[in-house]
Amino acid sequence: MTRTEHVALKGTREGLVLYLDPAADFGVLMKELAKLLQNSVQFLQGASVRCYAGKKEYTEDEHTRLGTVLREQQLELAGWLTSEEVFVQGKSQAYATEDQETRLWEEGMVEGSCLFVERTLRSGKSVQFDGHVVVLGDVNPGAEIIATGNIAVLGALRGVAHAGATGERKASVSAYYLAPTQLRIADLVTRGPEDEADGRGPEIARIKEDQLIVEAAGMNGWRGKAR
Amino acid sequence: MGEVIVVTSGKGGVGKTTTSANIGTGLAATGHKVVLVDTDIGLRNLDVVMGLENRIVYDLVDVTSGNCRLKQALIKDKRFSNLFLLPAAQTKDKTAVSPEQMKLLAAELKEEFDFAIIDCPAGIEQGFRNAIAGADRAIVVCTPEVSAVRDADRIIGLLEAAELRNPKLIINRIRPEMVKRGDMMDIADILDILAVDLIGVVPEDESIVISTNRGEPAVMDQVSKAGEAYRRITRRIQGEEVPLMNLDVPSGIMDRLKRLVGFR
Repeated sequence: MTRTEHVALKGTREGLVLYLDPAADFGVLMKELAKLLQNSVQFLQGASVRCYAGKKEYTEDEHTRLGTVLREQQLELAGWLTSEEVFVQGKSQAYATEDQETRLWEEGMVEGSCLFVERTLRSGKSVQFDGHVVVLGDVNPGAEIIATGNIAVLGALRGVAHAGATGERKASVSAYYLAPTQLRIADLVTRGPEDEADGRGPEIARIKEDQLIVEAAGMNGWRGKAR
Repeated sequence: MGEVIVVTSGKGGVGKTTTSANIGTGLAATGHKVVLVDTDIGLRNLDVVMGLENRIVYDLVDVTSGNCRLKQALIKDKRFSNLFLLPAAQTKDKTAVSPEQMKLLAAELKEEFDFAIIDCPAGIEQGFRNAIAGADRAIVVCTPEVSAVRDADRIIGLLEAAELRNPKLIINRIRPEMVKRGDMMDIADILDILAVDLIGVVPEDESIVISTNRGEPAVMDQVSKAGEAYRRITRRIQGEEVPLMNLDVPSGIMDRLKRLVGFR
């Protein structure tokens, strides 16, 4: 890659790309371009050049001037590149993040602010939070958790849990021992299961096809240790 | 400097007053200077259970509002000269005393006595707040019933919020035969929910009814099973490690035969 202060010429698989500093004055650019081309005249002849000047839009007049300078050196102006088509140092991170976001969505991950409650919630305690709630303890009968996001209890859920409280139907309620007095997700309400929760292991409740269903949660590692 | 222990439960009728009378008497019997304080203003019962209702002249509200000195209101027990009772008022209600007044009273009692047992009324309102105001330790009484456990859980939450940490639990009126049949919650179920240390288990016993009516706490009765349980609790309060009573009903011939053949 050959460059001056405001002009750079780079070789790519698709041909030559001429980088023009969008902040520079056009006259300066032309002068520098002439100098640059003169010094590299041998291996550039006959090539077609595409130009990139960031977001800067040049006038008709400036376009023709640029074209003339290039033709003097037997170079064809082949077009202008947009920012997306050009590899610019420091932009690589942006691409990587976009990739990651697509991946997250497919694997069923949800992000959001989360409240960690590192104690057992006794009867009469009410926890309300705009986001997800994780309880590292039990939720005793008479206690309640109201969250706009998901609820996860790393212990026994024996009280009332309301996930997706503002209407998020994709919210879930999970616990190591799911035996709530009442379970609510968004606008659906259900009683806890009638039979003893002993031996059922960790479970997760969500809305599937307009119904609140409870299924065994994946946590195989936990189950393995319990046996 | 003495210790102020509050006996509370949340639910009514689980045995707070009975427990207060029995552990108070038990501690006095082992030689300590003990005062029992009834804070159930308007519905006083501790005096009846102790058999001292005829000797009341002044009460708790008189002391806190300055009508009389503490010494004038204290009633010496019939049986033990180192056991005293500060009765509640019957003609007033729980708004007659404030938590601040109770704190001052507790401080005064700590100077004179080794133990002050405060009998808390049922509920979570003013009466409860008054009773826990000056306390150092708390004992929660609970029966093996879902409703009682629910209320005990609430009370433990409130005690912890009031900085009375590590309350001890007494499970009262347990029936071992019913527990065996699966008709009654067992100790493990209760501890699973409440998650506090157990300080004693008292079985259901007819002798409690008799002792209440006579005004003689069961802890002095050598035959009563509940009395034995309270004696053990008294020792545990003083720091001794005592095993829980064996509450199993002695099995008859039929039970032993059944077990031989393989029935449970």
